[in-house]
Amino acid sequence: MNRHLVVASVALLVLAAGCGKTPPASFRLNMVQATKTAAPDSELNTSWTSWSRERQEQVATILEALFGTPDEPVALAESGLDEAKLRLAAGPVRSDIVGRKNGLYREHCVHCHGISGDGMGPTAAFLNPYPRDYRPGKFKFKSTWRDAKPTQADLVRVLHEGIAGTSMPSFALLSAGQVDALAEYVRYLSIRGETEAALFGYAEQELGSGDKLPTTREFLVGEILAPIVEKWKVAEESQIPVAAVPAGIDFSLPGSDLANRESVARGRALFLGDGGCVKCHGVTALGDGQANDYDDWNKAIVEVSKEVAGSLETSRTTSTSGMPAEKLAEYRARAEWLHAFAGVLEGDALRPRTIPPRNLRLGVYRGGRRPLDLYRRLYTGINGAPMPGVGPSGPGAKGSVADAEIWHIVNYLRSLPYEFDGELGADRPMVAKDRF
Amino acid sequence: MGKRLAGIFWALLFLAVPVFGVATFAIAPAYDHWLPKDVSEHGASIDSLFYFILALTGVVFVVTEVLLFWFMWKYDAAKQQGGATYIQGSHTLEVVWTIIPAATLLFLAIYQMNAWADVKMRRPAMAPTVEVVARQFEWRLRYPGRDGTLGTADDLFLVNDLHLPIDEDVLIQLKSMDVLHSFFLPNVRIKQDAVPGMKIPVWFKAREAGEFDIVCAELCGWGHYKMKGRITLEPRASFDAWLERKYAEQQTTQPPPESPGDLAASN
Repeated sequence: MNRHLVVASVALLVLAAGCGKTPPASFRLNMVQATKTAAPDSELNTSWTSWSRERQEQVATILEALFGTPDEPVALAESGLDEAKLRLAAGPVRSDIVGRKNGLYREHCVHCHGISGDGMGPTAAFLNPYPRDYRPGKFKFKSTWRDAKPTQADLVRVLHEGIAGTSMPSFALLSAGQVDALAEYVRYLSIRGETEAALFGYAEQELGSGDKLPTTREFLVGEILAPIVEKWKVAEESQIPVAAVPAGIDFSLPGSDLANRESVARGRALFLGDGGCVKCHGVTALGDGQANDYDDWNKAIVEVSKEVAGSLETSRTTSTSGMPAEKLAEYRARAEWLHAFAGVLEGDALRPRTIPPRNLRLGVYRGGRRPLDLYRRLYTGINGAPMPGVGPSGPGAKGSVADAEIWHIVNYLRSLPYEFDGELGADRPMVAKDRF
Repeated sequence: MGKRLAGIFWALLFLAVPVFGVATFAIAPAYDHWLPKDVSEHGASIDSLFYFILALTGVVFVVTEVLLFWFMWKYDAAKQQGGATYIQGSHTLEVVWTIIPAATLLFLAIYQMNAWADVKMRRPAMAPTVEVVARQFEWRLRYPGRDGTLGTADDLFLVNDLHLPIDEDVLIQLKSMDVLHSFFLPNVRIKQDAVPGMKIPVWFKAREAGEFDIVCAELCGWGHYKMKGRITLEPRASFDAWLERKYAEQQTTQPPPESPGDLAASN
């Protein structure tokens, strides 16, 4: 009887007390970049660990002053961000006094995109492709010039439609205000990430090993933040022009329809010729061309990993016998740094995955299936991915295919999943309707 | 004395089970915790089966629980003189309590056959109105377009926002892209597992227009709880108009007029 009483009271106590308060969420630094910029230079800086930690702390402090924390985001007037929207999206999931849902980012996004927007949430490692890392500020599916930022409408569209063929689901049933708040928070995480990169970049290029970053408002806001914010501000004016659809294309009819035959043939010729599509997507458009390329952010990890592995190998095979004490200290510092960097690459970055070219016969279009979406993908290519554009690279430039001609390629692409009407046989590849 | 009190306590505790059990069901509708509104043609037969079985099991539940209380009260060890009596068992009793439940189950099995056949076997002879593909964690939809055939160039693709006409049979072709899901329309009394590799037909006829939830009723991964869609049931005319509108959106070739991209194009 007594034993039962004890067990029951312990259970009651645990229930009443809960399992302790979780510490407040905090942003994580980009450790890959932080460690990379901490490379001990030849000036014999054997104490690199301590000064690089100091620098990390300084960057973290600056970022917190400029952007706040995941629970208490701050939008400086100069950042062009809307703090009210950020507050709706940030913080733990909860309802406010009028019953409005708060903490949307943590409810819907954080498990893949991570608290810092680094695309390394708990579920990220299991996905292919990996979730987007917002910190480099590169977005794939947008209406603007290749290097420009996405517009608000672009971000909202991706949230609304999801990304077919990836693990990004649709949030079509969220209210417009909620989607808007999430898009704003994505922009916030991007601007924050780009600022972090700019700070480390500045430190790497302009500062010596032990130097501190300037902390004046003029430097932080004027020199670091302003150019980043400016790029986001001009996004709305950076949309690519969309040529009128030439005669002889009727997108409401299938590509096999007589009305479209000529245009599809023209598109096919461009696909095989000037468009340069076959290099990756293959002659059959099955995506069986060159398939071993990476997205920019993965490529960066691949390259730096190779470099580190090479340097580690060199360091292992270097004989230290007869090395002067000064050189030996430098050697040790460098080896220590290389090991630390290898550890960071292992633990703070996802193992890079290749981005295979799309199989265009499946009828799955990540950036959307509207002719307008396909036109934009073809025109600018896909930012961050190996997919180049066939349109001009910027206003006034000349592309490999004339603007209006791109519509013929679009028409051809739309016909690909339905190209064959006969029975499935050895003479034709599998198309959308044969799947399942 | 203490033992007597303990006996009373346990007997009353067991009596509390049927009392609270029945009370919960009695007040649940007042707090809107009861069956969701039914807008389907076949739903009434499912609901009446539910009520029938609920009444049947409810009576058995109350009787069993009250008996349990009664035995604990009446034969409390503290009040009893002498020990228990050993009996060999009763053949008649065994037969009776085997045959009564068996007959009840057999009756239920036969009684529900028509309702089951209506929902799972008597498929209307028609092409699918829409294909629903479950995926972690969304419902991808494909309408056959003007030609009425799925897998052709005029298919319409949407996510999570299912529209269907009322007052006519609709046939859904249910598939799964990854793991087991369950396509659950609480207001239409439809629940069907989506199995990877299988095309499963689901059909119903809705009586009333409205917007309702689509939920996933099979634990399918971490995002199961928010794998939610919306079904809009509407008269044929507005359904057709909606289809046309969505189809036109899928053919979009120009950015919306207010955006600067379009201005650049017209220059």
